[in-house]
Amino acid sequence: MKIKRYWILIGILLIISPIFGIILADMVGYHEPLDVAAEKLGLQDLTEQMNWTPFLDYTVPGIPDEIGYIIAGLIGIFVIFIIGYILQYLAGRRK
Amino acid sequence: MHIPDGFLDPISCAVTYLIMIVYGVYAYLKTKRQWTTENISQITVLASAIFVAQMLNWPIPGGTSLHFVGGALAGILMNPYFGFFIMFLVLFVQCIIFHDGGITTLGANVLNMAIIDVLVGYALYKLMSKLGKENKNYKLIGAFLGGWMGITLAGIAAGIEIGISPNFAYTLSVTVPVMAIWHFVLGIIEGLITAAVLAYLLSKAPHMVKG
Repeated sequence: MKIKRYWILIGILLIISPIFGIILADMVGYHEPLDVAAEKLGLQDLTEQMNWTPFLDYTVPGIPDEIGYIIAGLIGIFVIFIIGYILQYLAGRRK
Repeated sequence: MHIPDGFLDPISCAVTYLIMIVYGVYAYLKTKRQWTTENISQITVLASAIFVAQMLNWPIPGGTSLHFVGGALAGILMNPYFGFFIMFLVLFVQCIIFHDGGITTLGANVLNMAIIDVLVGYALYKLMSKLGKENKNYKLIGAFLGGWMGITLAGIAAGIEIGISPNFAYTLSVTVPVMAIWHFVLGIIEGLITAAVLAYLLSKAPHMVKG
């Protein structure tokens, strides 16, 4: 796959991501089978009590959820690429 | 199916972390000589694409729905060991930056989505490829079954993990059926996406299909 096509794909997925990840998800009351099972057991989700990140649930503080979702996506991709570059550097140095 | 903090008891957390570390070392040793610049960039590209694809929830009226996981696809496109690292990268970033999946439950999430999903998906894909003597249609059926069964077994594993708890009795009989049935039904979508991506790459960029 040409690298340009990859970025176009990523761009399209990012732009439409709030439609699926926020708008439609809110409309249907998105929850996963895991949530259903956990509710039956009365398991307690401690995510909010022990949270450390300002980007909890793919939000960005002070920015509307739909736009924040896209920015969160960009941040995630950026961090993955940083880790990728570090690995490239280490692999290069090993030679 | 990212298990959040609070769902697992300390022993399950410790055991699943241990499995993650041991398998990670094993996967690294298996691929030691293959960490080339080219492979690392494919790992990065696939991890970022799977990360974004996971953000697109499937909105199913009625509520209970899922999103793409991608473990089977990662295994099929490279191999189960690099597939582990692709999924680990996704899960690690989701956990650290977005707290999607807990830090105490990272081992369990890696076990389900970076080990079980990847291995099951890869095994079914390889089996179908062999049966069809590398015929493309067999490969696509293998990818479909791999994506479908990979997410189903990963879901069942998550059900077992949250069901094994010293605090409750008979919990496995509650969690496992819920997880198995829902993932079996919704997993068809995962299978279709996995096969569609493979079909596209086989025709447009066959060099990216290495598994």
